[in-house]
Amino acid sequence: MKKIARLMAAALAAALLLSTAGCGSADGKTHLTFQIWDVFQRDGMQAVCDAYTAQHPDVVIEVQVTSWNEYWTKLEAAGESNTMPDIFWMHTDQILYYADFGILADLTDVYDEVDPDFFTKHYSDISIGNASGTDGRIYGIPKDKDNVVLVYNKEMFDAAGVAYPDETWTWDDLTDASAKVYAATGKYGYMAYNDEQLGYWNFVYQKGGYILDPETNIHAGYTQPATMEAIKYYVDLQKNDWCPNQAYFAETSPGTAFLAGQGSMYFEGSWNLLPNMLNYPDMVGKWDIAPLPACPDPDSGDGRATISNGLCYATAARGKNLEIVKDVLRFFGSEEGQRIQGESGAAIPAYLGLEDSWTTQFQKLDYLLDVQVCYDQFDHVVQYINNASRRKWKPTVADEMVRVYNGSNIEESLARMQAIADSYVTTD
Amino acid sequence: MNKKMSKAASSEQRWGWFMVAPTIIGLLVLNVWPFIQTIWASFCEHLGFGHYRFIGLDNYINMFQNADFWKATGNTLLFVVLTVPVGIFLSLLVAVMLNAKVKFKGGFRTIFFLPMVCAPAAVTMVWRWIFNADYGVLNQIFGTHVKWITDPNVALISCAVVAIWSAIGYDAVLLLSGLQNISKSYYEAASIDGAGKIKQFFSITLPMVSPTLFVTMIMRLMASLKVYDLIYMMVEETNPALTNVQSLIYLFYRESFVAGSRGSGSAIAVWTVLLIGIATVFQFWGQKKWVNYEV
Repeated sequence: MKKIARLMAAALAAALLLSTAGCGSADGKTHLTFQIWDVFQRDGMQAVCDAYTAQHPDVVIEVQVTSWNEYWTKLEAAGESNTMPDIFWMHTDQILYYADFGILADLTDVYDEVDPDFFTKHYSDISIGNASGTDGRIYGIPKDKDNVVLVYNKEMFDAAGVAYPDETWTWDDLTDASAKVYAATGKYGYMAYNDEQLGYWNFVYQKGGYILDPETNIHAGYTQPATMEAIKYYVDLQKNDWCPNQAYFAETSPGTAFLAGQGSMYFEGSWNLLPNMLNYPDMVGKWDIAPLPACPDPDSGDGRATISNGLCYATAARGKNLEIVKDVLRFFGSEEGQRIQGESGAAIPAYLGLEDSWTTQFQKLDYLLDVQVCYDQFDHVVQYINNASRRKWKPTVADEMVRVYNGSNIEESLARMQAIADSYVTTD
Repeated sequence: MNKKMSKAASSEQRWGWFMVAPTIIGLLVLNVWPFIQTIWASFCEHLGFGHYRFIGLDNYINMFQNADFWKATGNTLLFVVLTVPVGIFLSLLVAVMLNAKVKFKGGFRTIFFLPMVCAPAAVTMVWRWIFNADYGVLNQIFGTHVKWITDPNVALISCAVVAIWSAIGYDAVLLLSGLQNISKSYYEAASIDGAGKIKQFFSITLPMVSPTLFVTMIMRLMASLKVYDLIYMMVEETNPALTNVQSLIYLFYRESFVAGSRGSGSAIAVWTVLLIGIATVFQFWGQKKWVNYEV
């Protein structure tokens, strides 16, 4: 009996040893993991990694993709147990939570030996802002930047005899064209659905309102007059015959409806343009993009605005391979690393002056989308709205927004949204 | 005490422990310890990344004052009422039919069991297409325009339909095993005594299958109280019907992982466990009245 037990114990110990040995690098190279959430960008990220490992043969980088929802659950658990991937994408929604808690490595001085002003020279304030913690230090290497554009169906515009949208368009042109297209073709006009980044945020800033006050970035502005008016205008768009209601959008997203030829216009993030071209080959050539329509009577500003977000590459403060990872990140943020990313079509590089490298993949298609619109719009961008407490009030405010679409009094709902957001300011 | 015997006995005991150790350790590490942690977390505020601060009963006080929480509790109970009785009844019906002398019995059994084999996410995706108000098959066939998953009054029923559909096969197989244990001689004797099929069902089948029926009911009840994945897949966060469909565990997910308030999320989890406990106690108390353990 005892012999058997000993044998089993020995076998177990051997198995354990073997499994731990598997984790170490048998080939003497440094193995790094790189976690992302967008399967569409896998090849692009791989290309950037390959360029680095070609220069540094002693490093191997493995790109891993996890779906968006799982990504954050996993990353948080990994942060708790100090088992984070060596490199990972960070999103503006989450960076403050991670950075302010000391989970992310401070990368502010990562380029000091190259050029102490590297970040401010090559990246916009918005890109740096999206990669910074509340303390103003930089916790991520800016990866890309995006903005929101108006996508329209050329065939439906032709059928209705309406001129294509251009930079002179205002909200009035948007609704006029919607009505005309609907009358002529029976297809929906502008599809306005319950969304922040691709929806009412744009209208709020065009009108001259704000979600978080631009000066302190602390106080919410849901009851600010311009904000209220813009949200009301946006929600009421669904009262038109040419716009489906929220019940429709809960089942069929505007993008799906548009690409299935059910509607003529919607707002789309620049990051989805190439996937839409590639995934819907039958639609290629039938649609194009235009700048977001401007507010005709803004309370302040020129009526133009489009929300711009950007991801960044981050690493754990307590990472095991921190020095090597910093070198990899230095490359990711360099001109070469950013150019490869752009040319792969993954996203518009955050690196200033390299924006149009992103056109490369579009040029390979049968129809060249007017991507210049995306680059030009960077003159009117508003930084993606975020602060440290938004993470906590976001779901409750979103619930309130659902109530607005269900017909609750919009002034009362906005007042409640304001109160919810305010309640987190006082406790902080 | 005989020394030799006790040595053999203690050796056997040790081996006994050794053999059940994997299960016991698994249970302790994966179930009991997290449960204790959850109870602890429900009295704390989650500061982030596993750091908690004790705040006493605040999470519970906030929870009981939250209208969405009561709505979710109501939704969950309604979901149980919608799925358990109908689901069990249909499962029993299917089991009885599969137990009868029909052709292609094996084929039918496979077909009814199939939903259980499919991933719930895939099942829900297909049902969403079927239910789609504008382009779905269901409305096309009937020529109606019912908003199956976005009308606040209908959405929960639609979810219940999918839940029942997914569970029938599994429950029916369980019940079938119970039915097959009933000796044929009872039915023969009953026929000779002149009892019809329906009389036979209520006087023989139902009492004899009641222990299996009881187990199936307990399992289905727990599963219904814990419903999450189906509703999560079916109803997205911008769906107008969200608050009318949101189950307790869905609310728990949104509190814990979307808002990051694991403390208040844990309080919802503890409340759900409490509900399941109460329901199970009632069932065990009720079983004395109708479950027949004599063969």
